[in-house]
Amino acid sequence: MSEGAGTPEPITRLIEAFHKLPGIGPKSAQRLAYHVLRTPPQEAEALAAALRDVKARIRFCSVCLNITESDPCSYCQDARRDASTICVVEQALDILAIERIGFRGRYHVLHGVLNPIEGVGPEELHLKELLQRLGNEEVKEVIMATNPSLEGEATAMYVHRLVAPLGVRVSRLARGLPSGADLEFTDDLTLSRALEGRQDF
Amino acid sequence: MGERPRVYKTEGIILRRRNLGEADSIFTVYSDREGKFDAVARGVRKARSHMRGHLEPLTRTRMMIARGRSIDVFTQAETVTSYRAIREDLERAAGAVYCAELADRFTAEHAPQDGLYALLIDTFDALEAGAPLHTVRFFEVSLVALAGYELQLDACALCGARLPEADTLLSATAGGLVCGPCRAGAGGGRVVSIRAVKVLRHAGRAGIDSFAALDLGEALARELQAALGDVIRHLLEREPSAGRFVDDVSRLPVGATLP
Repeated sequence: MSEGAGTPEPITRLIEAFHKLPGIGPKSAQRLAYHVLRTPPQEAEALAAALRDVKARIRFCSVCLNITESDPCSYCQDARRDASTICVVEQALDILAIERIGFRGRYHVLHGVLNPIEGVGPEELHLKELLQRLGNEEVKEVIMATNPSLEGEATAMYVHRLVAPLGVRVSRLARGLPSGADLEFTDDLTLSRALEGRQDF
Repeated sequence: MGERPRVYKTEGIILRRRNLGEADSIFTVYSDREGKFDAVARGVRKARSHMRGHLEPLTRTRMMIARGRSIDVFTQAETVTSYRAIREDLERAAGAVYCAELADRFTAEHAPQDGLYALLIDTFDALEAGAPLHTVRFFEVSLVALAGYELQLDACALCGARLPEADTLLSATAGGLVCGPCRAGAGGGRVVSIRAVKVLRHAGRAGIDSFAALDLGEALARELQAALGDVIRHLLEREPSAGRFVDDVSRLPVGATLP
């Protein structure tokens, strides 16, 4: 970075901290740092407190590994939710997407997917915890909600192979055309799955 | 470099993907004419991207690419073969990803290697059509040969002496089989059965279909996997990441595939 010798040390430090964030280049980092410099002290304090709290107060739910302030998390504590269905997702953010559509079962967060080339293997995912839950809880169905990518599919197949011998039903989100899609540009794999999964009116 | 056209068309296999920023991905491709290269697909992680499904790893894709200053950019992509049967079978997918990783690690960018693209396509086509997993051994033997490290299997790799029709030392350091008297100077290795030697020789001479049709049995298939694994590890000076995954998958309980 091109901070001159005259830049005070605290600003340089802040610029470097912003620069470490994903998607923030050196110029954006400078702009953010100087923006913070101009904001009222309370706002800067609030930002600092938010950063501190997120590390101090947020942890993983001991049941489903969702990120949470209270352990177990609100989804795992809620007795109205259907405990016999577990929806398995790649990351905690995916829970928000599935909540939006009204799913009312339980979750399990893997915190990653199998990625053989990048060296992410089964032991890097939270699979052991999932198997433990299937042993302890009355689970009838595991819904694999990993992405329909090579890595997501491989993860779903892997979990299926682990779980199927326990006599639990394993299902997979349907694959096909997203709304607003263009048939002309759709890849053959998606299109053939869409055709196979067609439904009567 | 200056005279090359700014936009080019090529066909290739997507070897790997890395995410970039919010919605972009960088793909590593092995192509027939350009060899291996990296290119970025802008906005490919958005749901409405036109290129999304056409750039999945292990897909054979026709693509149009614009040369950029730091990295090339995909402008169009269309699937030739999506290799669905490979994708929907964990063992096959692991084998194909392993081949893709080796193709990546054994090549340099923009240096097409004669025969490698055809080898990749033949291997994936065979696996797609239901060839057994030992077809991956054909890929390894052929890849190593294409890369200039053809295994010496007909005579001792060190002294050139004829080899007896018996179990023999395969030494990655020596680059092939080593006779009894030379063993001390072979720098280690693994004794392989005469049946394994014959299969390795067959891989060097036969076509992929004839190799795939061999009935190896589990013990011999494992022996060959371990022996060639030694050779690959020696040449790459590391363990291929996907090799570990192949092992993980092979330890799973055998069950039905997903509906």
